[in-house]
Amino acid sequence: MRRQVLGWLQVVCFGFCACIPIFAQQKPIVLRGGRLLTVSHGVIEHGVIVMEGGKITVVATEGSAAVPKNARVIDVSGMTVYPGLIDSETNLGLTEISAEEMTNDLVEISEEIMPHMHVYDAFHAESELIPVTRLNGVTNAIVAPQNKDTLPGQDSFVQLAGRSAQEMLLIRDIAMPLNFTGDQRRNIPRDKRKYPSTRMGMAAQLRQAFLDAQDYQQHWADYEKKKNDAAKTEDKDKKPPTQPKRDLKLEALIPYLQGKKPIVLAAEEASDLEAAVNLAHEFNLKFVLNHVSHSQPVLDYVAQLNVPVIVGPIYEAPKAFERYDTVYSLPGQLNKRGVKIVFASFDAHNARNLPYQAGFATAFGLPYDEALKAITLNAAEIWGVADKLGSLDAGKTANVVVANGDPLDVRTDVKQVFIAGQEIPMVSRQMRLRDQYWGQ
Amino acid sequence: MTRVAIRSALLVALLLASVAVAQLPSAHNEVVIKNAVVMTVTHGNISNGSVYIKDGKIAAVGKEVNAPSSATVIDAGGKYVTPGLIDSHSHIALDDDVNEATSPITPQMMMIDAFDYQDKAIYRVLAGGVTTSLLLHGSANMIGGQAVVIKHKYGLNRDAMLFPGAPQSIKFASGENPKRVYGSRDQLPSTRMGNFEVQREALVQAQDYMREWDDYNAKLKRGDKDATPPKRDLKMEALADVLRGKLLVQIHCYRADELLTEMAMAKEFGYKLRAFHHALEAYKVADQLAANGIGIATFSDWWGYKQEAWDAIPWNAVICMRKGVRVAIKSDSDDFARRLNQEAGKTIHYGGATEEEALKMITLNAAWIIGVDDRVGSIDVGKDADLVIWDGYPLSSYGVPNKVFIDGDVYFDRSLPRFGMPHYREGE
Repeated sequence: MRRQVLGWLQVVCFGFCACIPIFAQQKPIVLRGGRLLTVSHGVIEHGVIVMEGGKITVVATEGSAAVPKNARVIDVSGMTVYPGLIDSETNLGLTEISAEEMTNDLVEISEEIMPHMHVYDAFHAESELIPVTRLNGVTNAIVAPQNKDTLPGQDSFVQLAGRSAQEMLLIRDIAMPLNFTGDQRRNIPRDKRKYPSTRMGMAAQLRQAFLDAQDYQQHWADYEKKKNDAAKTEDKDKKPPTQPKRDLKLEALIPYLQGKKPIVLAAEEASDLEAAVNLAHEFNLKFVLNHVSHSQPVLDYVAQLNVPVIVGPIYEAPKAFERYDTVYSLPGQLNKRGVKIVFASFDAHNARNLPYQAGFATAFGLPYDEALKAITLNAAEIWGVADKLGSLDAGKTANVVVANGDPLDVRTDVKQVFIAGQEIPMVSRQMRLRDQYWGQ
Repeated sequence: MTRVAIRSALLVALLLASVAVAQLPSAHNEVVIKNAVVMTVTHGNISNGSVYIKDGKIAAVGKEVNAPSSATVIDAGGKYVTPGLIDSHSHIALDDDVNEATSPITPQMMMIDAFDYQDKAIYRVLAGGVTTSLLLHGSANMIGGQAVVIKHKYGLNRDAMLFPGAPQSIKFASGENPKRVYGSRDQLPSTRMGNFEVQREALVQAQDYMREWDDYNAKLKRGDKDATPPKRDLKMEALADVLRGKLLVQIHCYRADELLTEMAMAKEFGYKLRAFHHALEAYKVADQLAANGIGIATFSDWWGYKQEAWDAIPWNAVICMRKGVRVAIKSDSDDFARRLNQEAGKTIHYGGATEEEALKMITLNAAWIIGVDDRVGSIDVGKDADLVIWDGYPLSSYGVPNKVFIDGDVYFDRSLPRFGMPHYREGE
């Protein structure tokens, strides 16, 4: 068992490092004259950024730092430069045309407990949605299975550029969603309902799954111990212990029971939130919260949990008795209570609109800097990649966006995206169609 | 909170609301909104401008307006003022009664009969600055039924929310939805051939029906006392109204080839099309739409949700506009309807619409599609005083309505507690 865990960690490291040499920046690039939103250390007017070997090597005021002689220098005066945006939940690479089932690999609904589903097995690197998304400055994303199961599978963290899934899947099985919103009940249609058709059923089934995984873990631990003891003993006649049968489903839960990876705990209503949190505490799960869209009455409780929140989407309609801005103001309300928040599109086709959600939240009490952080550095921190992503800092991966204005505003046009220092061709299927028909 | 606490909180809220009502202008008062950036839509922006409202209408607009000193003055504090936004494709306030999906031709369905005027979505959309919406049928049927135009006077009764004198629209559809709905039941239509056939068949029947009535009326005119009226048929009557040009035809249609087929069929039967809705491939045939004076009500950037939305591009609106098509950005969604201003702002991003062009897509052009552009959609003298004072720049991520006026009266005020609606009483 221990060897397996180590194996996973190796895959994780390999996955992240591997992209740099394969997806390689050829020549140093210098962006000069732009307005740099560093996220980590304020705004630099008339700044300079150097990208070399796929990394940011210089972030400074123009003229204050030496730049490599052989660099390609791009004048970005009048432009705004910021770190690549990170979408903390998408279905990118799992869907192409929503209504066309053959293009969807979103979720297995045959069972509710499916932790052994890995989105990397379905991730479609050539999806037309990926260029569309990155053209608006989104460079990285969590890819999650759709939330129709309580445990639909495990998320991957991707970079939205690369020639293959191998290059794009930076961290496989980075986290596991646990959905407890009521939508996972099998109660529709009414005459065909099956277990679990209630929240009680959902909770009982989840609890049993975690208990089974604990039991499984114990079997393997016992086996390993017996095997070690047998290896030490001189008694040649003693039979070696029988290896337990592997169970992929239970095996998948173990890193989460061990607190090695985070559960993404999704709930909307306050009552669901508390039930889900209790369940997570029962099994000592490490978690971040997801949605909390209708948990306004318990935001102080959310703050006391001291965990980050993937908030929203804030476009969720309020309840009939609630004011129109009840959900719009949620990010501001959480921020006021000191909760670390991130935004997510919770979508695939519309993932490109991620920054506008952050912008809109500022109209309802979220400070601007926090809004920008919620789609950059906060996300990098939550996903454990803040040493590589989320801000304009020397040493980080060169995921850099150049736009003609405020990244959070719908009017802003992204002019160039760099991913790992690579100048990404600013084309998509949509642009090809535009050019084919415009100007006829 | 205890029940007593809730009750006293409610009382305070009510009290505050009633105080606010007393101070707010009513339709028969005279109001001046001053110190605003007035975005007129038709004649540019007026900085440090004023709008004078009298009897629910715009009585003057400009740098200075001649208003009596008795008029209530609202200092906009330099904020932007736009016309009330107009959503030319909405399905709010219809509960689950959007589609009578039991037959592909149901032109006799009247949306007014399903209009749920108490739906809170009307309020939430009002809070997004929308003052007029066209409530349309869904797209399960090739011909769905007749629409309703409302003003978002949430808190008033049903009839007070109807847009007085608005022309009647009828909703047609095409493409995947009718095909899917009936095809999944092994019924006609299950192909685009079937779609257009059922539509053509219905129109042919309507021609016969219309002829019977024309003959009858001609007989009456000649003084023929023995003339007996044909039997009235609501379905045929509605289609005859289409053929007679009495209804504005609004067609849900995605693919370029279907846009052309619908245009050909309209020509064949001699009726006019007002607008194509969704029209995500309109950019491919924009010249033909422009030549025929047909508008589009489209999304800013929605795409990929079904096969016929696969060629959708966010430049559609601007390409069509540049080629002379009247373009509106619509919601078709309880959600987008609450932030049409942002959706319009995206046309600045995708294709470089000017500020005025972008705003026009959610005001005057939308009004034209509904057929009420002589009444609303711009800040011009004589038009209804449907206005929005904005916090933030309206065509950005940050634009949020501060106050919304309809017919000169405040229906939403962000600064008020609870719902922010002077005309709405909780619990009623």
